[in-house]
Formats: sequence, structure tokens, C-alpha cells
Amino acid sequence: MEFLLFVLAAAFVYYIVPARYQWIVLLVFSYIFYAAAGVKLLFFLLFTTLTTYGTARWIDAVNSTDEDRKSKKIRKRRILIAGLLLNFGMLALLKYSNFTITNFNALFHKNFALLNLALPLGISFYTFQSMGYLIDVYWGRFRAEKNPFRFALFVSFFPQLLQGPIGRFDKLAHQFFEEHSFDLIRVEHGLQRMMWGYFQKLVLADRAGVIVTEVFGNYSDYHGMTIVAAVLMYSIQLYGDFSGGMDVVLGVAEIFGITLDENFRQPYFSISITDFWHRWHITLGTWMKDYIFYPISLSHWMNRFGKITKKKFGKQTGRVIPVALANIIVFLVVGIWHGAAWKYLMYGFYNGALIALANLLAPVNRRAFEVFHIDDKSRAWHVFRILRTFLLVNISWYFDIAVSLGASFAMMRATFRDFTFRTLTDGSLLNLGLAGKDFIILAFGCAVLFIVSVLRENGVNIRESLDRKPLAVRWCAYFALVLSLPVFGYILLGGGGFIYAQF
Amino acid sequence: MDKVLEILEEIKSGVDFENEKGLIDNDILDSFDILSIVGELEDTFDIEVTPVDIVPSNFNSAESLWAMVQRLMEA
Repeated sequence: MEFLLFVLAAAFVYYIVPARYQWIVLLVFSYIFYAAAGVKLLFFLLFTTLTTYGTARWIDAVNSTDEDRKSKKIRKRRILIAGLLLNFGMLALLKYSNFTITNFNALFHKNFALLNLALPLGISFYTFQSMGYLIDVYWGRFRAEKNPFRFALFVSFFPQLLQGPIGRFDKLAHQFFEEHSFDLIRVEHGLQRMMWGYFQKLVLADRAGVIVTEVFGNYSDYHGMTIVAAVLMYSIQLYGDFSGGMDVVLGVAEIFGITLDENFRQPYFSISITDFWHRWHITLGTWMKDYIFYPISLSHWMNRFGKITKKKFGKQTGRVIPVALANIIVFLVVGIWHGAAWKYLMYGFYNGALIALANLLAPVNRRAFEVFHIDDKSRAWHVFRILRTFLLVNISWYFDIAVSLGASFAMMRATFRDFTFRTLTDGSLLNLGLAGKDFIILAFGCAVLFIVSVLRENGVNIRESLDRKPLAVRWCAYFALVLSLPVFGYILLGGGGFIYAQF
Repeated sequence: MDKVLEILEEIKSGVDFENEKGLIDNDILDSFDILSIVGELEDTFDIEVTPVDIVPSNFNSAESLWAMVQRLMEA
């Protein structure tokens, strides 16, 4: 609610000041927003902003000197590395030092004290966004921004600061700095999208989260179907939380006339793990592709390695092995990005290994299709692939949500202990913190979400079709959505934050 | 230009690389082929291809590849 008032206040000022100052309004409100979370945290935001601004400008300066190509390149590379080290170093220090100390202590039976560091909100998001910008300047995709305040807005734009989407400078800069006049339809769309986001967050995610917290928090007390139910609830919770959060973020940005990148595209309809990562947290995936996967795949040592594998394993398999290796590395980074814990590394490795395996086995698959006469274009096969992917994704959640890597393995084993479908009907699910009516609301909410997703998947633009409906119908839909929040929203005591804001 | 054709032929035989204008758009080359091609081009012409260059328009025909190589040799 406070956030809504903050957005309305920002929008009010944004549209009454002369349009050429609008970006300054966004910058000021962004800093107020971040300072509200803790004034000390501003230091880290400023650190990233200033070091990235400085190193990018420096690279630009080297470009315009008349040194020869080789020495320019070496200097630019050094500056880039300095910029990357400063920022990823800061991220590593804040996010991973305790993990390192804990493991070092365990390994060498030492007792170094843990550091008492608060993780600045959204640091993983704004660091990645800034480093993407720096690397782009290094590659010459665009020139460095000259105005430090304008650059500061790119790093700190408040809707996306906490949980993304991870933006690109070339897509955002012109939107920030062009003049926006008030457009009622656009603002209406923005509010509409925010409400849809809050619906997913409050009605679905926070409710499903009750069971997740109970079962995963006390995992040794549960087994069999109860764990399966909790994992499925986590599928609902995480999607509702993150995708709902993104709808809020994109809706807010839309109110200011700014279109951010989409982060989700019906991920649970994916037909493979590769496809899943093209639909789930899309901006992290494309970041990884551009700034980790390609640099690794295009590097000289990978090129060498590819030549060796081609000689050893033949052209077909040989060309796939380097890509498979690059994918595993990328997903280890994705794992580490999520947090400093072995379970996240395993989460990344699991995804990377599945994708690598799929690449390597593709020729075998094709043969199998021929031998078993499977029509890979058929509807049944498509549905089978969706279900298979959904199963694999749910297995990955064990690593993501369990309290530790050991706990995730223990829970996998426990899933098979005394497994029975009776758990679903004998009322034991009602002892996990949710009442019967909560399950009914969840089921209805999921049904709404499912219908919306199917429509979208089939290319229906729901907003546009809603726009074409008579005013009365439109407003009924809005009222239903808005009313559903206080009536059906699961209001957590102490307020539930967004999961991804912790990363 | 002949060198580019040679590399393409080596990576995927049986394609009319001289005339084909939609190597990417018509799904003739996949992502594995692209990475192999880039590796060969880098070695042969001593250039550095960055992710910025990995866009369909650079890979759709032998000509566009050759244009990219020439541009990178001068850069």
C-alpha cells in the first residue's frame, strides 16, 4: 500500500514538471526509494554507479586516442577487467565471503569469525545490469553515457532496482530521457498490470508459501505425497511471487511510459529445459548468454578445445561438446548468482547438465523417433514434453528451496517413503497451515492463471481484447481483480517480501 | 571470399553457400554451426569476433560473413 502511494506520488510529480526534467524526477524518487531501505546501502549503489561510469568513460577515451589498434585493445581490456573486478569483487565480498569462510573453517578445522555484512537490496540485479553496460561499451555496442546523473538513473530506476528485469542500456536510455506526456490508456494499462501482479502475489504465492515454509522448514517431519504437494506449492509460490512481482514492476514502469523487458513467457508450458530458460527469468538468461556463454564459446581456448573434440569424437559430437561444457559453466554461474550455498551450485549444475545432455543426445533421440515411429509434431508428444519438463523443473526446486543441499537429498529420498495418494484425501494436507477454503481459493486462482496463460500462449492479447470490451465489462473485470486482493489475498503477518529481492 | 566458402563447406557440406541468402532465416545453420564457423574464421583471418557480431544479418550468406570478416580485419 505504501508502495502504491509512493508510485502515485512519483507519477504525479513526473507529469506536472516540465517534460525535459522528468528523468530527474525518476532519479530523485529512485534514490528516495533506495534510501528508505537503509541510507548506508546507498554507498554500495553509488560505488557501482561511479566505478562503472568511470571505467566506461575511460574505455571511450582510449577509443578516441590515436594509438595503434593493438595497444588500444590491451589498455581497454585492462580497464574492463578493473571495472569488473571492482564490482564483482564487491558483490563477492558481500555475498560470498561468509560462504567461503564457513567452508574454509569446515575443511581445515579453523574457526575464523563470520563477517557481519548486510546484503544491499537488489545488488545482484544492479551489478549485473551495470556490468552488462560496461562490457557493451568495451565491445563497442554503444558509446559510454557522458552525464553521470543520467547513468545513475539507469542503475537505480526504482521499479526494477530490487528484482529486475535486468535491463540493457541501449533499450532503456532513450526511453528514460525522452519526454513523456500523460496518457490515460497507458496509465490504466500500468495499473491493470500491477493489480494482476498483486493478484498472483497475494492470492496465490503467499498462500501457497505457507505450506512450502512448513514442509521445507521441518522437512524431517514429512514424507511421500506431502513433500510432492509442497514442491508443487513451491511451483505456484515461486511463479506467483516472481512473475507477479514482474507484472507489478512492468506495470509501474508503464505508468511512467517506460517499457521494460519481459521476464516471463508462460514458463510452465516449456517443452525442454532449454526452452524453460528462454521463458523463465528471461533477462537473466539473455544476460548469461551474451556475457558468459558467448565469451566462453568464442574464446581461443574453447576454440582449441573444440578442434580436439572434433578430432576425437567426430564432427557431430565434437562440435557439441564445447557448447555442452559452456552451458554447464553458465549454469554454475546462474547457481552462484542465486546465492552462496552448495544447494544453489547444485541447482545450477543440474540445469546445465540436463541441457548439455539434451544437446549430446539429440542424434540418439532422432534415431529413437525413427525406430519407434514417434511423430514429434503430434499434440500428444508436445503435451508429454511439457509434462516431462515440468517434472524436471520440480525436481530442481528441491535444490532451490530446501534449507541445504543435504536436506534436498534427504527430501528426495523421503518423497519415496510411504508414498500414497491417500495423503491427498485423508485430510493430512489440512494440517500444514492452510484451511480447506484456502485450498479452494488456490485452486480457483490457479485456474484463472492457467486460462490466462493458455490464452497468452495461443497469442491472444488479453489487454487489447479487454480494451475492446464495453466500459462496463472492463470495469467489472478490474473491480473483480481489485476486490479479490483484500478478499482473497493471503495477508501474511509481518508482511511478505518478494523472494527475488533477496538475491 | 573463397576461404569463407571453404570453411562453410567444411562445416556443413551439401549447401549452395554461394547463392543461399538465408542461412539463418531458413534454419540451414544451427547455433553449433555458427560457433564452429566463428572459431574457424578467427583462426584463419586472425580476427576477434565478439558477441555483438553474432546477429543473423552477419550469418545469412557467405557474402555477409565475408563483409563481417573484412570489417573486423580493419577494426
